[in-house]
Amino acid sequence: MAAQALAVAASHDGYSAIAFPFFGAERRGAPVLAFTRFGQERLRVRTQVYEPHYVVVLDESLIDTVDVLAGLRPGGLVVVNTTRSPDRLVLSKKAKSATVDATSIALEYTKQAAVNTAMLGAFAKASGLITIEGVEAGIMEVFGRRLSKEIADRNVAAARAAYEATRLGEADSGRVYPKASKWLPTAQELPPGLATPTLETPFGRVGVGSSTSNRTGGWRVEKPILDDAKCTNCLLCWFYCPDSSIVRGPKIVEIHYDYCKGCGVCAAVCVPKAIHMEREVEEEVRA
Amino acid sequence: MIEARTATAGERHMVTGDYAAAWGAMVSRPQVIAAYPITPQTMIIEHLAEFLAAGKLDAEMMRVESEHSAMSAVVAAEATGVRTYTATSSQGLALMHEPLFISPPMHLPIVMSVVNRTVASPLGIWVEHNDTMPQRDTGWMQVYVEDAQEALDMVLQAYRVAENPSVELPMMIGMDAFLVSHTIESVDLISQEAADKFLPPFKPVHAYLDPERPLVVGAAAPPEYIQEVRWETDLRMRRAAEFLEETDREFGRTFGRTYGGAFETYRLEDADAALMTLGTVTSTAREVVDRLRGQGERVGLIKLRSFRPFPADRLQDATAHLKAFGVYDRAVSYGVGGPSYIEARNALYDTTTMPILGFLAGLGGRDVTPQDVELMFKKTLGAVGRGRRASGVHWIGTRGVSP
Amino acid sequence: MTTVKDLPQEDYFLSGHTACPGCGGAMVVRETMKVLGANTVVYMPASCLLIFSDMYPYNAFKVPSLQVLFETSAICASGIKRALKRQGKDDVTVVAFAGDGGTADIGMQALSGAAERNEDILYVCYDNEAYMNTGIQRSGTTPFGAWTTTTPLGGTSEGRGKNEFKKDVPRILMAHDVPYVATASLGFPADFLRKLEKAKAKKGFRYLHVLAPCPVGWRAESDTTVDLAKLAVETGIFTLMECEDGVLTLNREPRFTPVREYLKLQGRFKHLKDDQIAAIETWVKEKWERDRALAKALGPKPKVPVAMTK
Ligand SMILES: Cc1ncc(C[n+]2csc(CCOP(=O)(O)OP(=O)(O)O)c2C)c(N)n1
Ligand code: SF4
Ligand SMILES: [Mg+2]
Repeated sequence: MAAQALAVAASHDGYSAIAFPFFGAERRGAPVLAFTRFGQERLRVRTQVYEPHYVVVLDESLIDTVDVLAGLRPGGLVVVNTTRSPDRLVLSKKAKSATVDATSIALEYTKQAAVNTAMLGAFAKASGLITIEGVEAGIMEVFGRRLSKEIADRNVAAARAAYEATRLGEADSGRVYPKASKWLPTAQELPPGLATPTLETPFGRVGVGSSTSNRTGGWRVEKPILDDAKCTNCLLCWFYCPDSSIVRGPKIVEIHYDYCKGCGVCAAVCVPKAIHMEREVEEEVRA
Repeated sequence: MIEARTATAGERHMVTGDYAAAWGAMVSRPQVIAAYPITPQTMIIEHLAEFLAAGKLDAEMMRVESEHSAMSAVVAAEATGVRTYTATSSQGLALMHEPLFISPPMHLPIVMSVVNRTVASPLGIWVEHNDTMPQRDTGWMQVYVEDAQEALDMVLQAYRVAENPSVELPMMIGMDAFLVSHTIESVDLISQEAADKFLPPFKPVHAYLDPERPLVVGAAAPPEYIQEVRWETDLRMRRAAEFLEETDREFGRTFGRTYGGAFETYRLEDADAALMTLGTVTSTAREVVDRLRGQGERVGLIKLRSFRPFPADRLQDATAHLKAFGVYDRAVSYGVGGPSYIEARNALYDTTTMPILGFLAGLGGRDVTPQDVELMFKKTLGAVGRGRRASGVHWIGTRGVSP
Repeated sequence: MTTVKDLPQEDYFLSGHTACPGCGGAMVVRETMKVLGANTVVYMPASCLLIFSDMYPYNAFKVPSLQVLFETSAICASGIKRALKRQGKDDVTVVAFAGDGGTADIGMQALSGAAERNEDILYVCYDNEAYMNTGIQRSGTTPFGAWTTTTPLGGTSEGRGKNEFKKDVPRILMAHDVPYVATASLGFPADFLRKLEKAKAKKGFRYLHVLAPCPVGWRAESDTTVDLAKLAVETGIFTLMECEDGVLTLNREPRFTPVREYLKLQGRFKHLKDDQIAAIETWVKEKWERDRALAKALGPKPKVPVAMTK
């Protein structure tokens, strides 16, 4: 929806604009891809954007696995939701950067960790291409239509706060990513009819029981912390965890974080209240 | 070919086309059968139920609550690694449209007899090919037969072609409502023993659902994978043409009958003009060819059997010497013409500039008489020497419409 | 009898699936698979489950799985079972996991057919009370008053959320006289596990209807899934019952907590007016009267005449 709102904002500011999502298997909190194009002239290309002028990263953890600057044009800008300062980002190449702690802002204004509207405010500030009024118009149009006016208002406030808080700088190069990260066999190599057993590929496991190739821990905003001393081994957290992130031990349970999406169910069902949720923040900022 | 039809590999009996199809299914030893009744297919499943009750057939028979479920059931069963059979007609096939798309990409060689019947509206129970023709792009092979014997023989042949590891595509066998399904004639009811010699047991190659060898079958997929699956399915359909021919020859060696593979020709060698037909009109057309030949007209006939795969290369060769070509269809693609007329023109575009005429007749089950067929030949003959401009679509036997 | 502690360590529905945080549907599938174990074949229709567990090339099940179409869960599971039986593998459990839309609406025809034929399958409906995969549209099991994207809010009588009450799917299945029909809630693990065990052990058609809160579609916090599942039962809104060979038992007498307690945790009910809440209270009361009467009336079903049993 943020890509749409950005297109509306751009349109409000006099540009010709289009936006569309890459619609995939995504559920709430999962990484998604969306594209916005805008310019002075009528837009004709209707494809995904491969060489963007701007990249907006809503979830910092993606940087670990995805080269977000892969197609960025020379002189392009990356805007990242992070608690780090823009000069402390290490990416695949040097680039103009802007950062903002959109998660905190979203939690404060909208009571939810959905950062897309805050990031629109950050984009407006960092790029200077669209006005904050345009962003407001975009949010009211796109969110007000689908949700309520009240929710739209709160999102506008978040965008404004992010606009004010965005800092500009330069990201450093030095991060290396593997070349290809996906198993893309040829038509002749694909299992016939896609009927697939468990297969080990150079890009990890596929087929039966292969979902573990997909580490969903990156989706997390809050993290469950276990107080060992309080755990009575009632196993309710283990029973309910939809992501099998609680492991049974001889006396008490243990929380594994690779797949934990931070839903908080474990903390909610824990009888002795041995688990609590904590916002995950980069170490350097907490210090 | 036709001459050898008196050969027997079982006992000869006077039976209907539906009985013959059911017999063909029985001796093919399907392990799961799922079907739902619809006129004029009903007798096929009634006979199968009788065979089952009498202990002649050993299969799981699922008397399901709709054709949508019949097709879905055989898809699931076939994905578990067993041979399956179903039969339907008309509205039933239309209801199956959604699950029809599933098996071709998934390599599931299901065989189905389809009694060709009018699809509403208006509702009609007589022969028309507007049930099977719209299933053209589902990835199913489609073969049309002319009589009860062929309806039986083709079931056995269908499994051989469909289950060939290089093909693994499902096949539907079209048989004209009443003119085949309910017409009683002498049929060689192939014995189980003879059938077993021709058709080996089914060995699933790619798809089997078994906890001892876990497999994901039928996942959702993002754009990164689907186009390759489409290409590979297309490749198998292209390959199937060859195996269709080979299987028919093999059938001939075993049973002394063949059908010409993808199409059969009749007095075509020295013809100036020829007509292509499919289904029962072919029989009438043979008569008309003989009569016109008697009058000195150099006419011939092509009986199109396989609509998918469409035998484009063979058709180019077979028609190279013709001066005009007519194509008969019992279904209309509104605003364009008959489906096989469209295919024929597409196939012959590169190799000929002769006129190709389309004929629509017998829609909704109206009888196609020798006079109708003669008119088609006359019109085709009349187009000789007039070039492509003489092509066009003609409605034969339509009140108020001049052909 | 299996308790939480006796459940095997091993999962057959694995992490790395992409269900939303706190998804009740994912919990239902994971728990069910723990009980069913390795000797199982899974069918899933188009639904959230398919998308979060079976997007090529990844798959979250350790056992074989098939997907065909949205409305074909019951028939495809039946087809698998018949084919396995043919191959002498009758010991394999075939389970279909379907959403409420795939069960109560578009899948009802195939479901009723399979139940009537007493196909030997286990059908688990994870009821998240709307078409979640397509983005929260109303289904036959969406409760009265709930906001969905096809029952949006507005100034007219059409704008007060869903105007109809929840379809009682288990009661429809009971009318088929199948060996086992039961409801379960994530909020009552012992009851849920007992029913899973029972359903696994029985032959013939078994139907389990499990309430599976969806934080996204219900507009609730992701950590309230289990609380919601409990409250749905304690308010009397969702009845825990089982019907075994024609004998109906109501498994839990609720506390009849005011429905408001349940509704207020969910954004989809936020707009409800007092008259709508009162309507829900009345509905609960009447439902319980009816269910109690039904439980009393439904004794063992008549025995099949002797002549037909051989
Ligand atoms: C014939 C057909 N119609 C519509 C759809 C689109 N569709 C896919 S999933 C879905 C909703 C699923 O709802 P439900 O069964 O309740 O499962 P949930 O996603 O809520 O878990 C719909 C409408 C489809 N796949 N097939
Ligand atoms: S939308 Fe609801 S049912 Fe679907 S994955 Fe998310 S939480 Fe689960
Ligand atoms: Mg649902």
